[in-house]
Amino acid sequence: MFLETKNLTHIYMPGTPFQVKALQNVTLSIKRGEFIGIIGETGSGKSTLVQHFNGLLKPSAGRVLFERQNIWQEGFNLQKLRSRVALLFQFPEHQLFEETVFKDVAFGPRNLGLSGAELKKRVFHSLQTVGLDYENYKERSPLNLSGGEKRRVALAGILAMQPEVIILDEPTAGMDPAGRRNLLAQIKKMHRDQKLTVILVTHSMEDASRLAEKLFVFARGKKVLQGTPAEVFNSAAVVKEIGLDLPPLTELLQKLKTGKHHHLRTDLFSIKDVGREILHHFKKD
Amino acid sequence: METIIELKNVTFDYFSGGQPVRALENVSLAIGKGEYLALIGANGSGKSTLARHLNALLLPTAGEVRVDGFLTTQEEHTWEIRRRVGMVFQNPDNQIVATTVEEDVAFGLENLGVETGQIIKRVKKALALVGLQSFRNHAPHLLSGGQKQRLAIAGVLAMLPRCLVLDEPTAMLDPRGSQEVLETIRRMNRQEGITVVHITHYLDEIMEADRILVMHQGKIVLSGLPAAIFAGETNLEQFGLETPTIPKLARLLRAGGLQIPAQVLSVEGLVNFLGEGPAPAKNETRPQQT
Repeated sequence: MFLETKNLTHIYMPGTPFQVKALQNVTLSIKRGEFIGIIGETGSGKSTLVQHFNGLLKPSAGRVLFERQNIWQEGFNLQKLRSRVALLFQFPEHQLFEETVFKDVAFGPRNLGLSGAELKKRVFHSLQTVGLDYENYKERSPLNLSGGEKRRVALAGILAMQPEVIILDEPTAGMDPAGRRNLLAQIKKMHRDQKLTVILVTHSMEDASRLAEKLFVFARGKKVLQGTPAEVFNSAAVVKEIGLDLPPLTELLQKLKTGKHHHLRTDLFSIKDVGREILHHFKKD
Repeated sequence: METIIELKNVTFDYFSGGQPVRALENVSLAIGKGEYLALIGANGSGKSTLARHLNALLLPTAGEVRVDGFLTTQEEHTWEIRRRVGMVFQNPDNQIVATTVEEDVAFGLENLGVETGQIIKRVKKALALVGLQSFRNHAPHLLSGGQKQRLAIAGVLAMLPRCLVLDEPTAMLDPRGSQEVLETIRRMNRQEGITVVHITHYLDEIMEADRILVMHQGKIVLSGLPAAIFAGETNLEQFGLETPTIPKLARLLRAGGLQIPAQVLSVEGLVNFLGEGPAPAKNETRPQQT
């Protein structure tokens, strides 16, 4: 296993009247190269969980293992872990601070000791990966970019570190539809082309169902469901009970199936596949 | 329908690095009393700039805006206008001022010098309208995102507005919080008859709007019923938008030979249609290109 938690519990402000148990006994494992979706309502513990993956938070109880090593054992290099497991926070554009896009993206790799042609190559490739043209953007001030562009610069800054795992916490929050579509397409492409392990934290069941191979669903600090999108959405009642909606296409297929169309497949998640399935069933009727 | 807000040839320029940038270009629009109007468009299309003209937060560079007959450029009418048109913004945390829910709602009224008996009555009613009466003594910062946003709406409702302008009110909320806020907005519109101008990036929130305006580069480029906007021929992608999932699927099914009416925009609509077989098509609605 690549990345695991074992009985992970996290308590904020322990021993005070404000004590909150944010995570309770969470055990899960992630394989190298997987695309994971972590879903749950606000306050379900998903952001707390992912901050354990690169050692930003320390478990109150339980363990976090990276390549089978307890990341909190003595002698474990957390600094190195953080360059291999990168976390893009919510609203990452607030963290852009350099005067040019080049400098901002170069900040991380420069701290890793890169310079000259190699540094330039890293920045070039990272910007290219997020769909920003190097020549056009390198000298621009991050402050004058649109929200979607800023977010992509922030993502490029993380990619420039060449991490093996990238954790994205609500990466499309507050973006317009075109921006959302672009960013998600870039993330999908990165996963496919570079075999990156991607962990997407989201409350969009629709995005999660289309992108992720495996989902972990959280409610009130506990992992309540896990599996492929099809497996998870088969537990429609549980999903609804914890305050999440099924993706509209899944809801549609399930409703039609419980009507009179018992042979309809419900494990399809793209508009194209669902369209084909419906046409196949309803055109011959 | 009687008009409550009217924009005539409104142009707005702002300055960025010494250069004028045109945010609105020659926008004309009449908003009817009691209408649920949705405003959509990519970032930078001019939606928020337009919204800020509706209660004199911004004044036009050229053209005019009238609210209930009052010109927004006449300063002596600013308060009359703001009393009629309340604004709710994206981030609920920036809109909370007091230490209890009740005081937060009362804040605006106290500033206007409304007498105490009136304040108590109005605060009570506003909190009931948004379903927060049992939280009246709570600290606002401990509320959930959806509750905070409903509190912001209550603060505006206490001023007895005729029109509520909401600028991406659900952008920072999770699905449950969004649902609470959307239900509150719809109830205000239907039961209280309050005019709603709802700006959003989430197009599935506005399937029941009376009218949708699409903005692009400072202009209104498309206007019509949801069915006309989402099932029409105009490609929304060119305006940086995306047709929502179910209308997109319906389009694909139509192309595949199923006669799905333009009004079918939701999961329920599609289930009903497919479940009951083809319904007669009616109300052929085309969007107006403007």
